[in-house]
Amino acid sequence: MSGSILSFIVGASSLFLAYYLAAVGHGLMEKSGILNLAIDGVFTLGVAIAFAVSVYTLSVPMAILATSIIAALFGLMLAFITTKLPISHGAAGLSTMFLGYGLAALVGLPAKVVENKRLISGSEGLAIIQPSLGYMWVWFYVAVFIVAVTIWYLIEKTKIGAAIRAAGENPASAEALGVNVLAVRLFASGVGYALIGIGAAIFELAYSPVWSQGKGMGYGWIAFAISLSAGRHPILTLVPAMIFAALEKFRFIIESTYNVPTDLGKMLPFVAAIAAMIIFMVTPLKRKLAPPKSLGKIYFREERTV
Amino acid sequence: MVIVRRVKPLPYWIIPIIALLAGIAVSTIILYILAGASPAAVFSAIAYGFTRPGVIAKIFVALTIVGIALLVSFKGSIWNIGGEGQITFGMMAAAWVALFTMLPYINPGLAQASMIILAMIAGGFWALLAALPRAYLGLDEVPVTLIMNYIAYYIVDLLVYGPWRGSSTHNYPRTDTIPSQAMFPQIPGTTMTWDGLFLLIITFIGVWYLLRNTSIGLRIKILGNNPNLLRSSGINVPLTIILALTISGLIAGSVGALYLGGDVYHIGYPIESQTANYGYTGILVAWLSMLELIAVPLAAYIVSALYEAGIKYQTLVGGNLGGMLTSGTSAIVDIFIGSILLLYTILITFSEYKIKIIIER
Repeated sequence: MSGSILSFIVGASSLFLAYYLAAVGHGLMEKSGILNLAIDGVFTLGVAIAFAVSVYTLSVPMAILATSIIAALFGLMLAFITTKLPISHGAAGLSTMFLGYGLAALVGLPAKVVENKRLISGSEGLAIIQPSLGYMWVWFYVAVFIVAVTIWYLIEKTKIGAAIRAAGENPASAEALGVNVLAVRLFASGVGYALIGIGAAIFELAYSPVWSQGKGMGYGWIAFAISLSAGRHPILTLVPAMIFAALEKFRFIIESTYNVPTDLGKMLPFVAAIAAMIIFMVTPLKRKLAPPKSLGKIYFREERTV
Repeated sequence: MVIVRRVKPLPYWIIPIIALLAGIAVSTIILYILAGASPAAVFSAIAYGFTRPGVIAKIFVALTIVGIALLVSFKGSIWNIGGEGQITFGMMAAAWVALFTMLPYINPGLAQASMIILAMIAGGFWALLAALPRAYLGLDEVPVTLIMNYIAYYIVDLLVYGPWRGSSTHNYPRTDTIPSQAMFPQIPGTTMTWDGLFLLIITFIGVWYLLRNTSIGLRIKILGNNPNLLRSSGINVPLTIILALTISGLIAGSVGALYLGGDVYHIGYPIESQTANYGYTGILVAWLSMLELIAVPLAAYIVSALYEAGIKYQTLVGGNLGGMLTSGTSAIVDIFIGSILLLYTILITFSEYKIKIIIER
């Protein structure tokens, strides 16, 4: 019995880390008031970048670094245009999502050609940089713990965190009290998207180290649903991230053992997200876990004086 | 850098055209850098798309109807991102009529009409589920409608994988092909169906009348501009929100029937990797139309031409990427749509504002 629990903990570890990083990054960004609908596109692009960079450089740290930097650039771009200009967060996010999907194919396919040539010529290809996972899973849990505590401390206990929350609740008042809303949102989105990028890289490099066009699509939305079902709280996010990572990792075992169709398991994060959103709206949990009041609302500084 | 309001806004058609041209330029550059594709091939593919009205007719009809559907809710500032889920639900309802009732064998016309009507009801129902928490709890409709797209996918997946799996598909998870009596008849020389054309005309006139001559239309428009006025004049605001989103879902649902009965004829598994994404592309159509009903067909024509251009281009440059670019999920279409919509979203600011660079000394 203890053996099966251990194999459960080990098996789910890499996907748990990937989901958690993406979800917590998403939550951090939305805490600052920017509606983030680009997550699935950038996650898919991140998966492709992690694959391409690891094929070209054969270096895992390089792949993670490159993915997080490019993802962070997308975050900064989104934060800048939605704060500086009076434009719809939803439209900016969805169009970036499309761009991410398209770019992912263009980035990943040429690398796939290189990788396939290597495999045909008898070399091991990407497999040589795959570390034997061994006790890696311990480090995955340590990483999750460190990120969870750091982000929680950042949001709840520091001045920057207070500024992020203020920018999400009421940017106009925050600005009047001396908060630089643009800077705060750039920070939250940059860090948030860097985490989403690292999550995508972990997903590609540690969870399922192969790539084909469309890989990662839909997983960004699962991270989105995980974050929403935990009210964007960095510590609470651990729970749905673990549950849905285990469901995804062991879905074939669950299907064959308990005769539950896999699609039911895939549906669960999304149903949980909507149920949680309704619960957070109507119960006293609202104080802590309801969405930021100005989430997705256009905040346009120049307009105030008119 | 200071952004100031223009004294007089630019004419409304300028920004969409600039965004379109700039978006095509940006896509061409991206494709050149990342796929090594020659700009000439891009332009010839685009020319191909724009000059084949018969070929793009099918996409055009679907996108126009989805665009009109989304326009109804967008007019009320209700951002229905759930067109995809409403279409999926419509497809499911139409498939039920075609596969599991006797109607196609009794009366094909009646069967096709019931496929469309039931698809509308299913789409409307799915939108209503998102409208209720929005109206009574103030729950933001954007994440809810978006998440419900995925729930709709998986509900259909469960059906297709389980009880609806075809008897003549060699145990392969997909539904049977619908009987020929339930297939919508095609207009010769085009890819569209008579049912589609008929539905398009009805929807256009219906929504035109709704927005122009009915109190519901007026309420939806006020909801978009000034919800406080609506509240203070004693009009039931939650009901108006519900109507805006549900009517939007009703219309979007009908596209599900068109897609099943006039295009794919069966539901594949998993549906999320085989959908035409009309629900998302329709958002681009509705945005590009500047929420002017009369401009929706024009926007739909442009987007469907680009859609076709992307598919055509994919066959042209596939070789550059090791011939591995899959034609079903269309990366090139995504690049076109993404860059045009993003530029449009940014540039739209400048129809009402202008940027002044002030150098402080």
